[in-house]
Amino acid sequence: MTSLITARGVSKRFGDVRAVDKVSFELEKGKIMGLIGPNGAGKTTLLKAVLGLTDCEGELSVLGLDPFRQRKELMQNICFIADVAVLPRWVKVTQLLDFIASVHPNFSRKQAEDLLSRTKVRNDARVRELSKGMVTQLHLSIITAIDAKLLILDEPTLGLDIIFRKEFYRNLLSDYFDGERTILITTHQVEEIENLLTDIMFIDDGRIILDQSMESLPASYVELMTSGADADKARHLGPIHEHSVFGKNIMIFEGVERERLAGLGDMRTPSIADLFVAKIKGASA
Amino acid sequence: MIKHQLALLRRELWEHRSIYVAPIAVAVIMSLISLAGMITASTFDHELNLAILGASNIVGDSERQAALTIFFLGTSWIFLFTLAILTVFYTLDSLYAERKDKSILFWRSLPVTDAETVISKLLIAIVVLPLVTTVAIIVTHLVNLVISSVWIAIEGGDAAHLIWGSVALLDNWLAAAIVTLASALWMSPFIGWFLFVSAFTKRMPLLMAFMPLILVPLIELIILRSSYFAEAVFGRGGMMPLFRGMDMEGFFDQDRMQVNDELIRLLAHLDIAHFLGSWSLWVGVIVCGLLTTAAIYVRRYRGES
Repeated sequence: MTSLITARGVSKRFGDVRAVDKVSFELEKGKIMGLIGPNGAGKTTLLKAVLGLTDCEGELSVLGLDPFRQRKELMQNICFIADVAVLPRWVKVTQLLDFIASVHPNFSRKQAEDLLSRTKVRNDARVRELSKGMVTQLHLSIITAIDAKLLILDEPTLGLDIIFRKEFYRNLLSDYFDGERTILITTHQVEEIENLLTDIMFIDDGRIILDQSMESLPASYVELMTSGADADKARHLGPIHEHSVFGKNIMIFEGVERERLAGLGDMRTPSIADLFVAKIKGASA
Repeated sequence: MIKHQLALLRRELWEHRSIYVAPIAVAVIMSLISLAGMITASTFDHELNLAILGASNIVGDSERQAALTIFFLGTSWIFLFTLAILTVFYTLDSLYAERKDKSILFWRSLPVTDAETVISKLLIAIVVLPLVTTVAIIVTHLVNLVISSVWIAIEGGDAAHLIWGSVALLDNWLAAAIVTLASALWMSPFIGWFLFVSAFTKRMPLLMAFMPLILVPLIELIILRSSYFAEAVFGRGGMMPLFRGMDMEGFFDQDRMQVNDELIRLLAHLDIAHFLGSWSLWVGVIVCGLLTTAAIYVRRYRGES
């Protein structure tokens, strides 16, 4: 496996605030990694550092390049959608395709046009005339038509309705992802991307508090639904988080074998969203 | 590199259509005024028109050329004025708008360096805008001459002789091109300053650009009791070392009772060698270069983008 991103002790300070605090991680080729964190956790700052949009301390290598100092070379092999509002409103679709075709060596105009012909986005329309969902379709079509090694998505579906959101991820998987490409994605709508991730990373207060593959989650985390005396027994095993719903106690355990919890209630692997809450609350407790 | 630059320049023309719309609008207005003038003149007494024509026939070629050149100057300064305003607004907007509408994140997601982007904006201000202005001046001149010719022909005059035989086309156009391009180069420190403010300011670029130009001389005057900054900044408007000293007395040769042939040529008033050899031009160009470099660094290092 080759590592596309290698971060060792990456930090970014804004005055006294450490937005990103000695972060280390690796992202391997062919993975779809979700970067999850509350607002202000440092997600966007970390992504900006990876994209070479901001300088940082520590050791950061993306596709073997120093992102801040070799941004131009890097951008030939990286794409990103940072927010749906990012495409300039004045530009016409054809102008956008013209421009990218003339500056991007890995862009296939034909593929972009083919993808766009499946949408309602007209070639002569200006971005300001398109709905938010159509702008995202346009952006995703462009990015899919760029033969890039790494795609970075920062809240790509913010403000979109459920139909566009579902379609976005469907197209992302069917048109973009081919096992060769790698995706790093952040979003608040965790449940929508849960099924497409291969790896997951939680960030809080500038620090990584979880970094592992989706496959390995069931071995590490268990959610137990229990009540009464069983709940007290379970509590002795040290859940990292507990809350109650309809009189039932729901506990999340980390590193506790399932055999030890057997008989105390219903077990399942926690959802990303529940695990996220447990880890964040646990970290701040 | 050149391919990128051409793509970036084209991108600027897409975004800032005023680069060509404003000069075209002025050209159309000037031509309409000229046309209206001719129509008004034609409705006057036919005898009077003939008298004007007759008078034009009698005066010498040099005087007619002088009159046409003065007419050309009269229309051209409006284009230079438009260019100045256009340059201020274009440069102040060029690196500010992309931050305001957040499209900077998209532009920076493409394999284009910040230096390439900022230089494309500098090139628009220093080369493209003056060239577009020059073309607009030339086209307007031609349109006006055609309108005048038609009027003369209607009145039964000889337009080929009165207009086309007398107008110093190449002299006028070359002089216009030189003055326009030289003005942009001469004013380049301001262009650099505006680019820097555009990249730097969080709000109100126009105010942020002009406030220091007023406040700094005031502070200098109050604290140091000197006015070097004011002279450097405001003095620049009035002392472009391109023009030779204008000798109005020499313009009309008293002895021969006619205008001096040599002096009605606009090019004769321009001293390109003196302009290119003047240290204040190159100091200005260096200031422009430094401020543009600063703009590139601001775009590159600004974390919040």
